[in-house]
Amino acid sequence: MKKPLRLLSWAVFLVLAALPLLAGWGYAGAYSLGMTGLLHKGVTLAHWQAVWSDAAFWKSMGFSVYVALTAISLATFFALLSVVAWQRDFRRGWLSYAVYLPLTVPAMVVGFFTFNLLSKGGLLSRISYRLGFTDSLVAFPDWVNDPFGIGIIVAHTWMAVPFFMLLFYNLFQSEGLVSLGQVARSLGAGSGQVVRKVFVPVLLRKASPILVLYGLFVMGSYEIPLLLGTQSPQMISVLAIRKLQRFNLMDVPQAYAVSVFFVVLVVGVLVLVSGRGKRWRLKSKDGVLNQKMAS
Amino acid sequence: MRTSFFLLFTIFFACAPTSNPTQPDPGTLPWEELVQQARGSTVQLMMWQGDPLINAYMQEYVVPAIAEQYGITLKIAGGQGNIIVQQVMAELQAGKETSELDLLWINGETFYQLRQIDGLYGPWTGALPNGQYIDWKNPFIAVDFQQPVEGYECPWGNVQLALIYNSAEVPDPPRDREALAAFVRAHPGRFTWDVHFTGLTFLKSLLIDIAGGADMLSGPFDEAKYQRYSAQLWAYIREIRPGLWKEGKTFPEAVAPMHQLFANGELWFTMSNNDSEVDNKVRQGIFPETTSAYVWDGGTIQNSHYLGIPRISANKAGAMVVANFMISPEAQYRKQDPAVWGDGTVLDKGRLTEEWQQRFRELPPRKYAPSREEMQLHALPELAPEYMIRLAEDFRKKILEDNS
Repeated sequence: MKKPLRLLSWAVFLVLAALPLLAGWGYAGAYSLGMTGLLHKGVTLAHWQAVWSDAAFWKSMGFSVYVALTAISLATFFALLSVVAWQRDFRRGWLSYAVYLPLTVPAMVVGFFTFNLLSKGGLLSRISYRLGFTDSLVAFPDWVNDPFGIGIIVAHTWMAVPFFMLLFYNLFQSEGLVSLGQVARSLGAGSGQVVRKVFVPVLLRKASPILVLYGLFVMGSYEIPLLLGTQSPQMISVLAIRKLQRFNLMDVPQAYAVSVFFVVLVVGVLVLVSGRGKRWRLKSKDGVLNQKMAS
Repeated sequence: MRTSFFLLFTIFFACAPTSNPTQPDPGTLPWEELVQQARGSTVQLMMWQGDPLINAYMQEYVVPAIAEQYGITLKIAGGQGNIIVQQVMAELQAGKETSELDLLWINGETFYQLRQIDGLYGPWTGALPNGQYIDWKNPFIAVDFQQPVEGYECPWGNVQLALIYNSAEVPDPPRDREALAAFVRAHPGRFTWDVHFTGLTFLKSLLIDIAGGADMLSGPFDEAKYQRYSAQLWAYIREIRPGLWKEGKTFPEAVAPMHQLFANGELWFTMSNNDSEVDNKVRQGIFPETTSAYVWDGGTIQNSHYLGIPRISANKAGAMVVANFMISPEAQYRKQDPAVWGDGTVLDKGRLTEEWQQRFRELPPRKYAPSREEMQLHALPELAPEYMIRLAEDFRKKILEDNS
């Protein structure tokens, strides 16, 4: 790229992407430290201390990690299963509708559908009542607004599976797994071994940065846990917004502290992931070099 | 990197609050001049838009009437409580000289917060000609959450917390704390309250009941009294908790999801801060015909909702003209019609002409809620705002986060 063009693209990136983010983050940081805000009383660590010493905050962090890990694991399992078992192009034919459609549905709508499906007055509960499995609608188990986040996990899994299916399918093609599988078979591997030792490890390793990013997205989601979660523990964005918008204006700096902390966490994970990504790339380059040298 | 830090600091300083230039106070102008000044202007009103009947009243009656009578374009944006406070706060923090908003639909909690950040213009209600029909000494009007209104907001409507139940399932609803405890023991999972404004209003009603009446908690916030009575309140809630919806481990996020749980039969009770909502919801087909509203013996909180003007509104004159129209006998009469909205008037009927008194008397009665006069007998005043803040915090700590 020519130098002026490169400079221009850097400037555009800085002004449109980096600066607003940095400014927002800086402002939130300043707010959380009592440096700004209509009711601020000078620089203080009190708001951060209030957040650190609040058991609800740590519960909320733990719950967010648990929901993200469970939803991503389930979605990865189902997506891997369909891609490896079918090995067909989901981007064409009637299947493409089934795969692309969920990607277009907003989170709020998914949350609402899940509520109507899984709540005690919902569709599944009514079917179960009609079939005689439950003797009343309220006898149906708690699958939304429940302490284990079942509703939230179901909604996020449903949203993630088609996305992961496309991801895995593309990787399946680009990594030449069909021919790798044939090589493994010709060397005596059974079908199960091909899946366990070739397909799954390659797909997971290649997809892992995106899986981690999606996990962060789930951790920071708002609408679905707002509709389907409980008041305690709450997922982290719901907790931050509650502190931002509820009755006590003195809690507003704490909301900013929570959001600053979350951004630090996200950036930390991103740095880790990109660092590992670089190492993998180097490793695979080494692998190729070694092969070449051996040959 | 150094450049970006420099830019960041520039942005901060650019965002730092600056003092507002002093504007001529429209409240001091003669009314005719003020109306003249407002003609041709636009007034931006921010209000809760969650009810189709309220929206229809505003869009089909108030907006055209304001345009026709005063030549003012009234534009309505959606937003309530915390959204309004956030918006006004953001404008003040950014040092804006004029607000995007001119008129705000608020209640006590928002009034308290807006006064806390010095976000409201006032006093201005003394200039409104239709103010003559309002009894400014009525405690349900003059005091909002135990804070004197002092002309900083204009009353627009009056409501009372009503408990709503399905009479097909509950022929004889509980009327006091003991009866409620017995009821939830016998019928677990059917009663709850939300964690937002309505639920907290219910908790305040319980607190007043426990304290032995409204007089015990009137006036400014009293820490000792709060500690004593709230301890009893938490003990009571822990006692009835196993019989609440989802065993009291979680509560509906707001009143709308609670209404939905009531409508689909999961709950047998819901509640509303607007005593006329039950008629509206049955009329819209959302609640079953067997729905009924009541107030229990210990009483429920009655409060007024108000109109406020942001301190940095660019069109205070227009906002005052619109507010004056909204408290006119005609506008208040239409608003109280159960088929239109059913919101209680803030006008003192004794101050109206005989003709208007007659028209108010002839309004069709409510079908599913007790009459206002009957409810008034069990009306409790709002408590100081700190009670609500503390109840919200302690309900979270002592009940929601304590799942033992």
